[in-house]
Amino acid sequence: MPTQTSNTYDPANDLVDRLVGLTPGSKTYETRHQRAKVAAATQGSYDTLFASELPGLTLIERLLVALYASRLTPSAELAAHYREQLAAAGAELSLIELVDHGEPSNAPTSRLAAVLTFTRKLIEKPVEGDRAALSTLPQAGLTTPEVVTLSQLIAFLSYQVRLVAGLKAMKALEESV
Amino acid sequence: MSRVIKSNGFTNETLGWDAWLDVVDVETASPEQIAVLEESHPQAKVSDYYLFLIHQPEILRQRSAAFNAIMYAPGGMPRAERELGATVVSRINGCVYCASVHAQRYTQLAKQDEVIEQVFQDPHTAGTTPRERAITKFSIDITERPAEISAMDIQALKDAGLNDADVLDLVHSDAIFAWANRLMLNLGEPVFPAE
Repeated sequence: MPTQTSNTYDPANDLVDRLVGLTPGSKTYETRHQRAKVAAATQGSYDTLFASELPGLTLIERLLVALYASRLTPSAELAAHYREQLAAAGAELSLIELVDHGEPSNAPTSRLAAVLTFTRKLIEKPVEGDRAALSTLPQAGLTTPEVVTLSQLIAFLSYQVRLVAGLKAMKALEESV
Repeated sequence: MSRVIKSNGFTNETLGWDAWLDVVDVETASPEQIAVLEESHPQAKVSDYYLFLIHQPEILRQRSAAFNAIMYAPGGMPRAERELGATVVSRINGCVYCASVHAQRYTQLAKQDEVIEQVFQDPHTAGTTPRERAITKFSIDITERPAEISAMDIQALKDAGLNDADVLDLVHSDAIFAWANRLMLNLGEPVFPAE
């Protein structure tokens, strides 16, 4: 669980490398780390978005969004990771079950229902995420900074899942020859 | 800027962008917010997009670092091709604003615009060379079906002449537009020039 948003990047603790299974010496690892600034900013974005002290949405709300997005995309690696993080953060089992198997309409609060409905729209059909879709968030009680956090989070997850998918495929090709 | 291309609601004209919720007033922004705006984009202090995202400065700082390192860093895949990937992803996701900006950048860098016209018309058949077609196809696939991307898709890029560094830059460019499109498309709307 990231607890601080420091600017120091440690390649030994890189989440994307761990999820993809990239280790120093492999061609895909070396290629990725030629773009050191991208790797650092990717990890930095993750650390910032899941920092416990980030104001607004709670850490558990952010992790629920992440697991729900990973389920919808889908990405088994990322879903497993966020499920683990939810358990470590002490999330109620019923909430983990909800985002893992249920529907937003079954959420216990209208706030969480609105957050998950917005997540689904942006993950599956971003072109349908119009002004009316955005306005459901303030209507459910989210402040503007919370809306910014949620939108950046969903957008980052859309990036992270494609980065992991692309690197996994690069690694698979490397290992097949 | 050369000729105007308009097709299927997409355009390479210069568009504005308005946020749907309240933006930060640059006059009352904190020193941290001002610093992040200045490192994000030369026009950030007069842009609704950045003035909206600056409600959460540390998130914007990291996003801008990733975006700028992916799209502008020297070496690797030519920058025009990164812009082509960005334009294709924006076309697929339906982000008219992003597509207009990156179509223009592609044309400035590549000194041609035929492939942009093709991407606006039908991205699935776009590309004037085997290399452009491979870049376009991969950008569509990773946008629409990230779970299905496999070694074969990477091999197809290599067969079209991309090396490992090129492939990584394309993955990065396509992925960062999964991110960028979801902000531009879902937090505000493009403003079209008066006819």
